[in-house]
Amino acid sequence: MNRSQSSKSAVATQILIAGSIIWSLLGGGLQILANLQLLIPMLAYFQPTAVFGYGRLVPAATFLLTYGWIGSGLLGVLMILVPRFSGIPFRHNHVLTFGAIAWQLAILTGLTQILMTGGSGLLSLPFGRTVTLILLVSFLVLGTGITRGLGGTWKSGPILPRLYLLGGILAFPLGLGTAELLLRGGTAPGGVQIITQLVWHSFVHHLWLTPMALVLLFQLLPTLTGRPTTSLSLGLLSWGLFFTLGGWASNSLASQGPVPSWLQSAGVVAGVLLFVAALGNTVLFQPLLEGKMDEIRRNVALRFLSLGAWSYLVAYGWMMFLSIPGVRQNTAFTVAWNANQSVFLFSFLGSILAGSIYALLPVVRNLGWPSHSSLLWHFWCTALGVALTFSGYALGGVLQGLALNDPGVPLSTVASYLCPFLVVIIAGQALWIVGQLAFSSLLIATLLKLFPSTAPMAVFPSSRTSGADLAPVRH
Amino acid sequence: MKPTRALAIVLVALLFTWIGQVAVGYLQVGKLEPVLNEETSLTNPPAPSGLAQTGARVFASEGCLECHSLSVRGPAGSADLTRGWGPRRSVPRDYLFREPALIGFARIGPDLSDVGERIKEPNDLMMHLLNPKKLRSTSTCPPHPWLFELKLAGPKNENDSMPVTAADWKQVVPSYKAKALVAYLQSLNLGYPLPEAPLK
Repeated sequence: MNRSQSSKSAVATQILIAGSIIWSLLGGGLQILANLQLLIPMLAYFQPTAVFGYGRLVPAATFLLTYGWIGSGLLGVLMILVPRFSGIPFRHNHVLTFGAIAWQLAILTGLTQILMTGGSGLLSLPFGRTVTLILLVSFLVLGTGITRGLGGTWKSGPILPRLYLLGGILAFPLGLGTAELLLRGGTAPGGVQIITQLVWHSFVHHLWLTPMALVLLFQLLPTLTGRPTTSLSLGLLSWGLFFTLGGWASNSLASQGPVPSWLQSAGVVAGVLLFVAALGNTVLFQPLLEGKMDEIRRNVALRFLSLGAWSYLVAYGWMMFLSIPGVRQNTAFTVAWNANQSVFLFSFLGSILAGSIYALLPVVRNLGWPSHSSLLWHFWCTALGVALTFSGYALGGVLQGLALNDPGVPLSTVASYLCPFLVVIIAGQALWIVGQLAFSSLLIATLLKLFPSTAPMAVFPSSRTSGADLAPVRH
Repeated sequence: MKPTRALAIVLVALLFTWIGQVAVGYLQVGKLEPVLNEETSLTNPPAPSGLAQTGARVFASEGCLECHSLSVRGPAGSADLTRGWGPRRSVPRDYLFREPALIGFARIGPDLSDVGERIKEPNDLMMHLLNPKKLRSTSTCPPHPWLFELKLAGPKNENDSMPVTAADWKQVVPSYKAKALVAYLQSLNLGYPLPEAPLK
């Protein structure tokens, strides 16, 4: 690829990745503020404005983490990766830069809307029409650019990443456009609006973000380990399951109520089959990582990608577990579903995003990563933070559900049961933010070229006995 | 695999998702109509007032759904009815006039599908918004003082001023948003029978 073309498209990439890190810190911070208010309700009595009220902080944090951190970041790393596996460079790089800026503008506008005037209350669509419009225009630009990189013929190169990418890129505008039309266009009556929200929620998580993350796993794991993916037919089967049933999975969030029971049952079936698809993909990833423990320890990109690959299975396993009717009766309406969000966003998608940035950004910037200790801080704070957050939400949610279903337990007591778990959750989220701070310090140093190293990939030293080991290893 | 074939498969899968759920869902619940109560000549579910419809938007924007659900489950496998959150389970027809239609997925606080029936006095709801602990000392609900205005007290308080003391000769008066929100909460009740969910 022409070097000047590459550096021009790198501007859009860097905007998306830098934006992603900023939104992650802000989103994580807002999430902690919200949970602090849940833990100490009296705190709410000291704030005279609505801006930092619990009811605004929660949707704002979820929006920032989903669309700002993961959405923006995954688009950024895909813009590095896709032209490289197809060999087709981006054209009209100024337009791509406009798309990247527009995406950040949409996030900023959405955040301002939610905090200042409140969210819409709609599931996964808490922002107003303006933001939808900006997101669609921006995605049209970025998605078209990335789609060009898929190439006109697929006779050579990887198939599975291309298939997931194609699906993810089509799912976002189709889902968002239809949801916007049905939910705010005045075309859908009450019950249908609720179904539409659940479908859109599924689109965002299982048809847009998951496929984009899988593109990175299917492309980077074989590259980093030097081993090819073994079975294309198993990969195709999992891909087919994902795109046929991914849009149905969120129906299992509903428990009785206004959603027709056949749709809830379909949600359970989709949850189980999506786990089967995740298992199928894990069967493909496992041989790539087998016997590579030393390399996983040394190579920070591989370390994060491995964590993401295993979290992928855990996220879909937990979702399937919560979908089982007997379990769902107890865990519906509880924070057990937040455990799913924490493992899905923070561990599965977040780790793949971090691993991909570690692997790919130096390729664009022709730089390595400067600080070994920051890499370690990032990994361990992320892993421990997510483990604490997940276990706090999961155990707290199960206990909350059992108590809610016991009419002898007053509701205030149910809320008090959550307190010790909230302490664990907040500690986990704080640890995660420390990890993100370590990561952002590395990222800022890389983007500003503050150090002279030229390693193409972040690697831990194999021995940590001497100070010389702290320098990045040259490939 | 050819790109065009892959594109066709993805499009079919995505359309299957929308048509299978939204179109079939529309045929099943989108064509529901309110039921006429012949004794009162009113419809079930009752149509909310304009103020209550505005209140629904305030309810959404204040993020009440982050703690409260709007969907009562039946007796099988849940204690919703025993907790007194409604006289019957919620069904799709209950949401006919809801705009936006919301159900919420958290229960840090109680379900509000029937709150209009549980708390009939609008002043109690208003006080709950201003200071939840005044109404129930164990409440963990955050206060919403921004829904109220401080006005200079005249020789006589305004009719709807809150029975709380404010500093500097001022009185606490609910804003339009607070009134709309209370009207919406009062409109939430399940105390009417439907063919698919009769009152017991």
